[in-house]
Amino acid sequence: MRLFVLNYARTTEQLEFSAPYTYDSGLQLNVLPDGRIAAHDLALMRELGATTSTAGSKTHFDD
Amino acid sequence: MTVLILTCEQDVTADLVVARLNRSGVPVVRVDPADLPGGVALSGEYVHGAFRGHLSAGGRLVSMSGLRSIWLRRPGTPASRAAEPSGWLTEESSQALYGMLRATGARWMNDPDAARRARHKPWQLRHAQQIGLPVPATLITTFPQAAREFAERFPDLVVKPVSGTHPQEPPRTVPTSRIAPGTDFAAVAFGPTLLQRRIAKTADIRLTAVGDRLLAARKEVHPDAHPDEVDVRYTASDAPWRPVDVPARTAAAVRAYLRDAGLAYGAFDFAEDTDGIWWFLECNQSGQFGFVEMDTDQPIAQTVADWLTHREPERQTHREDRLRATP
Repeated sequence: MRLFVLNYARTTEQLEFSAPYTYDSGLQLNVLPDGRIAAHDLALMRELGATTSTAGSKTHFDD
Repeated sequence: MTVLILTCEQDVTADLVVARLNRSGVPVVRVDPADLPGGVALSGEYVHGAFRGHLSAGGRLVSMSGLRSIWLRRPGTPASRAAEPSGWLTEESSQALYGMLRATGARWMNDPDAARRARHKPWQLRHAQQIGLPVPATLITTFPQAAREFAERFPDLVVKPVSGTHPQEPPRTVPTSRIAPGTDFAAVAFGPTLLQRRIAKTADIRLTAVGDRLLAARKEVHPDAHPDEVDVRYTASDAPWRPVDVPARTAAAVRAYLRDAGLAYGAFDFAEDTDGIWWFLECNQSGQFGFVEMDTDQPIAQTVADWLTHREPERQTHREDRLRATP
């Protein structure tokens, strides 16, 4: 018994996603090791967005 | 007055808004309900006809009467990071947190009840029809015969999950996919299946609505793109998102969609066809916007921050009228 829509499912690559930033509860922001706000590093955001859009929704870039 | 943001720590898109609120000097408290109880604590007192509630997280303490707005962004499941998580503790924590916050009078982006309803794609499709947006012919069914007959009427179909979510165990993704001619629909009986007429599209449109402000972006489909490449999230296209004007009729319909749904925010997906018609696909009530802002420089995060900061009297009145009209 296989659902019709699952005939079109793709295996999700289990990428070990290790964000190069950490959440700073004082700032309430994710920051890079050098203290910059991660979200303002557009190149990094593009890279991570491109990764997660096909891998699932770990950073919710797919919706 | 404080802006409360309910989201997970990993939500870097929320960071864009937090940074702008910080720059404006607007107090912000960011809470992940997953940390209640634990890193997040709350207390609410109902005494002498009055309610006084407090919420604390990350060393910050805020009075619930001091909340100007609440951004329901990507919150974790309440109590999911508790020392001894359980379904019961989740329900207890959820009722305590959201029950108190609902009673604060702060305005929501988006109201939790409106958000829950708006997540249902079948409801979205009907709502879009009712406010006049073009919706591709769609069938959601568990009847194989209905699927066969629909395929005869609309031979070029796509299939997509009804819920928009992806199956786990094992984790898989289910892109919107084109159905080949002669496909056997017998397996439709095993689960609700959403079939939709494929739009031969010239572009994907992402329209981000924040309050009354509409920010639309267009991603062109390459003329040589294979027609099986249906789902923009999984195509190899490197075409950028570019700002695009919203047709007046679409703008009016989108505003009506949000108003009648009780939503302050919505990320609408449309497929633009060769006649320039924007076909409604879905409205993600908490849809992502960072990738659009990066390509287009549209000030979406700033617009969200502004909405959370400032009251819109007219819109609030509309919503109160709607709630009064609800039986």
